[in-house]
Amino acid sequence: MMRHLQKYSPILPVLLAYGVLLGIGLAYPGKWQLIAQLAFYCALGQAFNLFMGMTGYVDFGYVAFLGVGTYGMAVSIYFLYDKGLGIGLIFIGLALAAVFSTGLSLAVGAVALRLRGAYFAIATIGVNEGFRYFVEGARIWNGADGMIFSRHLRKAVGRETAMTLSTQWADILVFGVAVLAAILTLVYMRNKVGYALTALREDEDAAKVMGINVTKFKIIAFITSAVLAGLLGASAWALKLTYVYPEDVFEIHYTVEAIIIVLLGGAGTLLGPIVGALIYGASKYFLAIVLPGFQLLIFAPIIIVIIVLFPEGTVGILKKKIRGTALEKFII
Amino acid sequence: MKNNNVIILLMVFLMMAIFNAQSVFAAKLEKVIIGHPAALSGKYAKAGEQAVAGIQAAVDWVNSVHGGIAVDGKKVPLDYKYYDCESRKESVTSLLERLITSDKVHFTFAPYSSGLTLAGAPIAEKYGMVYMDHGGASDKIFRQGFEYVVQTIGPGSRYHAGTLEMIKKIDPTTNPHPKKIALAYEDSEFARSVMDGAEEKAKELGFDIVFKRTYPKGVTDLTPLLSDLKAAAPDVVIGGGHFQDGQLLNKQMADLGINTRLLSLIAAATLPAFGEALGEFAEGVMGPSHWEYGVTFSKEGAAKEGLTWIGPSQDEYVKLFKKAVGSDTLPDYHAAEASAAVLALVLAVEKVNSVDPDVVRDALGELKFMSFYGNWDIDKTGKQVGHAMVDVQWQKGERKIVWPESAKTADVVYPKPDFK
Repeated sequence: MMRHLQKYSPILPVLLAYGVLLGIGLAYPGKWQLIAQLAFYCALGQAFNLFMGMTGYVDFGYVAFLGVGTYGMAVSIYFLYDKGLGIGLIFIGLALAAVFSTGLSLAVGAVALRLRGAYFAIATIGVNEGFRYFVEGARIWNGADGMIFSRHLRKAVGRETAMTLSTQWADILVFGVAVLAAILTLVYMRNKVGYALTALREDEDAAKVMGINVTKFKIIAFITSAVLAGLLGASAWALKLTYVYPEDVFEIHYTVEAIIIVLLGGAGTLLGPIVGALIYGASKYFLAIVLPGFQLLIFAPIIIVIIVLFPEGTVGILKKKIRGTALEKFII
Repeated sequence: MKNNNVIILLMVFLMMAIFNAQSVFAAKLEKVIIGHPAALSGKYAKAGEQAVAGIQAAVDWVNSVHGGIAVDGKKVPLDYKYYDCESRKESVTSLLERLITSDKVHFTFAPYSSGLTLAGAPIAEKYGMVYMDHGGASDKIFRQGFEYVVQTIGPGSRYHAGTLEMIKKIDPTTNPHPKKIALAYEDSEFARSVMDGAEEKAKELGFDIVFKRTYPKGVTDLTPLLSDLKAAAPDVVIGGGHFQDGQLLNKQMADLGINTRLLSLIAAATLPAFGEALGEFAEGVMGPSHWEYGVTFSKEGAAKEGLTWIGPSQDEYVKLFKKAVGSDTLPDYHAAEASAAVLALVLAVEKVNSVDPDVVRDALGELKFMSFYGNWDIDKTGKQVGHAMVDVQWQKGERKIVWPESAKTADVVYPKPDFK
C-alpha cells in the first residue's frame, strides 16, 4: 500500500506550490488578483501540458476549448438566471463547459488526431478561427454581440455573492482546475495511459507495432486536456469577468502563451508548467509595471534565448541536476 | 513573567498601530492620483497610446494652467499612474487591483474597448472605486447595475442621433413625406448597437425604415445586398462598420448608381484615408465621430448654452497633446475622450471638495459641462447622454465638420451630390 502511494509522491511539491500561492493570496488580499493571474497561467500550462507534454503534439487550436468552456458558463448564467437555481447555476455552468469542450474535442480529435506532427499542428490552427467565425456567422449565443451577464449573475445570487463569486471564488476554482490537472497528469504518468503515450511520443510507428492502440490513448489525453481547458475558461473568463465576446475568447495568443509556459518549465514534466507559469506570469507583470508599453520588446528576446539555450525547460535541467539524490522521487 | 512580557509587547504594538492609523487619517492629501491599466500594446495599442497621451495632456493642463485640484482649501497636484495591460483581460484585473491597493490611487480609468472595460469593472466595484470608462461604447455595460462606472465616450446607440435630427431639421420635404431610410451594417457587436440605436431614433423622429440588413466581417462583394437596397429606393443610407467595408459600400453604391440624399458611414468616412481612396466618390459622404480636430466648441459657446467650461481650448490642447506624445501626431477622439474624462473628475472633485469615491461618484451624476470635447452629462446608470457626435462630411476632398451647429466648420451639403 505504502509502495503504491509512494509513486504519487511527486504531487507533494505541486500541492506545496499551490498551497503557498493560495496562502500568499489570502494573506495579502491586495495581491489577490496577481495571484489569480499566476494561477490562471499555472492551470493553463498544466492543462495544456497534459496533452502536448505527454504526446509531443502541439495543438494550436487549444484556446478554442477555453472559449467553448467560457460559453458553457455564460449560457448557464445568461439563460437560466431567472429559474431560481441560485448558486446551482455555477455547477450547471461547469457541467456545460465540460460537455461543450468534450464535444468540440471529439469533433476536432476525430479529424486532426489522424494526422501527425506538423500536419496535426496545421490542422488545429484552423479550429479556433473556424469556430469563432461559426459562432459569429451563425449568430449562436448572440453571435458577435457576445453575452454580458453581470446583471444576470447578480439577479440570480444577489449582489454581494455575485461580487465574491467574480472576485474570489472564480479564482479559487482556477486553483482547483490547476490541482486537478496536476493530479490527472501524474495519474496518467503512473499508469498504462502514460506508458503508452511515452512510447508513442518517442516513436509512434514502433508503438503501433508493439500493439499499442495509439489513437485511443491520444484521444484520452486530448479530451482530458480539453475538458480541463473548458473548466478553466468557465471559471477564469466567464465567472470572473462576467462577459464573453467571441473575439476575446477565441484568441490564438492564449495558445501561444500556453506553449511558452510549457516550454519554459519543461514539456512533459509535472512541475514544469508551474515553474514556467510563475516565471512567465511574474516577469510579465513586473515588466508591465516597470516599463509600461515596452515590456514585450524586452520580454520576447529573453524568452527566445531561454528556450533556445534550455530546450528541456527549467524543470528538465533540474531533473538532470538532482539525479541520484533524495529529491529525485519528488521532482518529475 | 513571560506572559507579562507578551502582554506588554502586544500593547506596544497596539499603540503603534493606533498611532499609525491616526497619522494616516490626519495626513493631508498631498496629491490626487489617477490609476490606469492602459492598453499600450496588443490589439488596442493605437487607441491606447492616444488615450494615455490624452490623459497626460489633460493632467498637464490641470497642473500647469489650472494650478492643480482644489481640495480642502488648497490646490494639490494631479498625478497619473499607468501600467500596460497589453490589451489582455487577465492583466487588467491584476494591474487595476495593484493601482488600487499598492499605489493607493484615488480614481481609476478603464482600458480601451468595451470588453476590457467590463473585465475591470468587478474589481472597481469591489473596492468601490470610481471607474472612468473612456473607450467602452457598448450600451450594455450600463445595463448591468454597476455603480461606479462612468462613461465619457458616447454610447454606440447614439452615433446617428445627430445625423437624423439634422435631416429632420434641414430637409423641408421631411414633414409631408417622411424620409425612407436604409440600414446596411457590418455584423459586429459595435455596428449592431449603432444600427439598433439609429433605428430607434429614426422611428422616434417618424422616418420609415425600408431596409435593414447586416453583412459579414471581411466582406468582399456587396452587390447582392446593394441591389436589394436599390429596389427599396431609400432617401438615406446609413451603415458601415470598419474602413474596408465602408469604402467598399461607398464604391459599389457609386458603381450601381444608387444616389441618395445622404450617405453616412461609421468609422470609415471619418478617416483621412477614406477620401484619398475614393476620390470624388467620397464627395458629400458623411460619418459620425466622437470628436474631430477642428471642432469649434468654445468658452463662449458654453456660456451661450449656460454650461460650465473647463479645460484648454482646442489649439492649446493640441499643443499639450503633442508635448505628451513627443511627436507631431494629432490627437484623435480616443485621446480627446480620455482627456474629457479627466476634466470631468477635476470638476466633480472640486465641487464636493473631497476625493471620497462615493461622494465624487454622486457629484459626477449631477455634473454637466462643456470642454473642447463637447458636452458631458451622464444618466443615473453612468451612461454618457450629454455628448453629441459630430458629423463629418467630405467636401471637395476635405473633411468638414457640418453638425452640430455649435461645432461646425462648414455648412452641410444636402442633398449630397449624385455619383458621376
